[in-house]
Amino acid sequence: MEVTREIYWNIGHGVVLSMYLLSFAAVAVLLWGFWKRLPLYRIGRPLTRTDRYEERVRRLIDDVIGQEKVARVRDGGLPHNLFFWGFMVLFVGTLLVMLQADFFTPLMGVNLLSGEFYKAFSLILDLAGLVVLVMLAALFIRRYFIKPEGLDTKDEDFIIHTLLFSIIVTGFLIEGARMAATEIIQNPALANFSPIGKLVAQLFMGFDEPSIRSSHKVFWWIHFALVLGFFCAIPYTKLRHIVTTSANSFFAPLEPKGSIDTINMEDETAEQFGAAKITDLTWKDIFDADACTTCKRCQDRCPAYATEKPLSPMKLIKQIGEIAETTPEAGLCETVTEEVLWSCTTCRACQDICPANNEHVNKILEMRRNLTLMEGSFPGDEVRTAISNIEVNANPFGLAFAGRAEWAAGLDVAVMAENSDVDILYFVGCYASFDRRNRQIAESFIKICNAAGIKVGILGKEEKCCGEPARKLGNEYLYQTMAQENIELIKGYNVKKIVTTCPHCFNTLARDYRDLGLEMPVEHYTTYLERLLKNGSLSLEAKPFQLTYHDSCYLGRYMDIIAAPRYLLAKSGGRISEMEQSGYDSFCCGAGGGRILAEEKIGTKISEKRVAMALETGAPTLVSNCPFCLTMFEDGIKTGGGEGRIVVRDLAEIVAERLENATFTQSRR
Amino acid sequence: MKLLVCVKQVPDMESRFKPDSRGVWFSETDLAWRMNEYDEYAVEEAVKLREQLGESCELTVLSIGPDRVGEVIKKALAMGADRAVHVQDLDAAGKDPWQIASIIAGYAKEQSYDIIFTGMQSQDRGSAQVGVLVAELLGFTCATTLVGFAFADGVITAKRELEGGLKGVAKLQIPAVVTCQLGLNIPRYPTLPNIMKAKRKEIAAIPVTELLKEEPLAATTSFHPPAKKGGGVVLEGDVGELVEKVIAILKDKTAVLR
Repeated sequence: MEVTREIYWNIGHGVVLSMYLLSFAAVAVLLWGFWKRLPLYRIGRPLTRTDRYEERVRRLIDDVIGQEKVARVRDGGLPHNLFFWGFMVLFVGTLLVMLQADFFTPLMGVNLLSGEFYKAFSLILDLAGLVVLVMLAALFIRRYFIKPEGLDTKDEDFIIHTLLFSIIVTGFLIEGARMAATEIIQNPALANFSPIGKLVAQLFMGFDEPSIRSSHKVFWWIHFALVLGFFCAIPYTKLRHIVTTSANSFFAPLEPKGSIDTINMEDETAEQFGAAKITDLTWKDIFDADACTTCKRCQDRCPAYATEKPLSPMKLIKQIGEIAETTPEAGLCETVTEEVLWSCTTCRACQDICPANNEHVNKILEMRRNLTLMEGSFPGDEVRTAISNIEVNANPFGLAFAGRAEWAAGLDVAVMAENSDVDILYFVGCYASFDRRNRQIAESFIKICNAAGIKVGILGKEEKCCGEPARKLGNEYLYQTMAQENIELIKGYNVKKIVTTCPHCFNTLARDYRDLGLEMPVEHYTTYLERLLKNGSLSLEAKPFQLTYHDSCYLGRYMDIIAAPRYLLAKSGGRISEMEQSGYDSFCCGAGGGRILAEEKIGTKISEKRVAMALETGAPTLVSNCPFCLTMFEDGIKTGGGEGRIVVRDLAEIVAERLENATFTQSRR
Repeated sequence: MKLLVCVKQVPDMESRFKPDSRGVWFSETDLAWRMNEYDEYAVEEAVKLREQLGESCELTVLSIGPDRVGEVIKKALAMGADRAVHVQDLDAAGKDPWQIASIIAGYAKEQSYDIIFTGMQSQDRGSAQVGVLVAELLGFTCATTLVGFAFADGVITAKRELEGGLKGVAKLQIPAVVTCQLGLNIPRYPTLPNIMKAKRKEIAAIPVTELLKEEPLAATTSFHPPAKKGGGVVLEGDVGELVEKVIAILKDKTAVLR
């Protein structure tokens, strides 16, 4: 006889109707809970997040079934995922039992759960239950004994732990009781395919069959009630994340990372810019609060939070949900507070790590837009001055715009207005143009291009700030003014390709300017030089040196350029001692989000914290790829006690010092 | 109440100044332009008074110059002025303070303003005469270098900055002219809705010839950088060496160590 088991053993098929009715009732409670929540999301502005269906579904599968984002952090992530997959196996297994009992058997007369399949089924489900139990225990120990810093534990957490634990334990008790009365006696060989059940069955051995049967029945009903409770609890507890966090994998933006809504400045009917009230944010911004699992990964990585500033991306996400629920009429920026909003460096560490696909950065930017465009507010007077400088001289330093190309004197570089027959347009940016230290980046880049035989043109005094710091401070108007003037200018020349040395200019020209009509290819010098090296246009003489490399946020996290700079470093003879936080997990220098223009008045300095991480590697050189980072680290090394222990160099300087057969021709201007 | 604020567009002081072809003023090549700093304080104070007095009050902004001054007019409108007058003059920079004041007075005398605000001086010419001359030409009371301003019951209470850090308080009857100094206020940053609204506000264009009947009283004869009196020296290197070098220079070039 083929092995199988009797479904509804001891319970009887008479239970089917009431069981289904109760199950439907529980699902109805679940749906009702979410349904009641919908009006809350609807107070937000409309936003389309259901287009490009296939891409969204694919991501949903990767995120939910694959648990890819959760897996990025082992602590918490690994037990969560093992728990999740185990629970999924149990869930699917239970569904299979249901299908077998109530559809296959009565309607088709076939038994799937028999023979070898049944043995495998028994074993897998038993082991899944064990994994779930062990992982629950691990998560319990983590939450209640290890207590990771910042993990917010509420009563609810204990209740959910108890609920899940009880569901699994009662499940095993049912199995053990059934086996004690059936398999163990009738087919001991089969019992080996349910090792946990067999073990639990030992508890019941020695009791007479009626006692085993009655306790089986009690456990069955308790188990069933707990499972119903689990379904009902989903919308009302943190279990809601099963639905909301998964849904966010579907709703997450498909635009290139870092995309920001380009406000239509021609719309004269617009009366509100940015988010003054919760109703100025989108439904997704409110939904994000429900999708948040308070895993605090964002908070753990936030440079502002790590340096005692009042911003926690997690708390901000939750706060927006609370405002929507309790005080939707309140001033959003007043409630969140300006200090919180100005603390963000837009480094995207929060958003990058968030397993719930929450969008932290653009919420902050929308609120900043309200502060700047509607209230004329600034993080400080120094920023007010810098913004005014950009307006007048198109650079934040307030230096004469006419001196923008002075760094290029004596170098082999063409000014487009005089000679636009060039291979690339180098968009220099304000820092490499005006800042003494950063001019060395521009000079190095020109020397490298000269050595590779690339004809380089610059816009010279016609170039304007790309507008990035202004935009990230919320000043969309100034950004678009700068952007439009630059775009018009660039379009006037026969430009084939733009290369930048600044990741902020790079992001802005390559992505943000697209919305305003700039279409030609834009590259950061790291990928550009990588190609020159690979196609043989450029060759370097490797000089061995030890370094640690800082991935700037806007190159790494925003643009996924992580390997190219390391390739250049390897070709330069560099041996990298990586910092713990590198690549996608890099820690901001503190300059993003327009913070480069602002004094850091609250907490400790982000740049010093990052310099300390670099010092820990023991490397004598810190290499970065961004003028903002270079500026911050020059500062952080001085004030953070790094002088004499470490120096900061830009990657372009390192490469320029290793050019083979470089002949520096004099300016042909 | 009718308020007038007079603003001037000046080059940014970081600009590279070169004499023009006549050698009597600076060339406009490569200059970045902005609103005269002191006039920004004047606009801010005028807008604050306009807000204090409400709808019964109208604030006009006036500027003299070529088309480019439209930028500062728009900024004043975005900050809160109700309407604007652009006195079109391609050679405003060639006119002396007396002529500029006459142009303003020529326009203002028909308008019966109650208070005229302006900066205490311009950042480029810096004569500090226009405000007081306008008051004189119109027969208004006048207080200069304001660091505090209050208006109540038809009386201006003006806090003035005096020499040596002293402050003085003057009470003025209207109509009056006040000139504004750094410290009076922090000029607001125009909000985007106000920038957009400003685009729709009226800017009356008046050719300067309609207003100017006066000849200049003072002529600018030369514009040139200060004569070079030996350049500065930047010493670099080790502190020990630097000390030696400084002592050598002090001995060599000065009398302090003799």
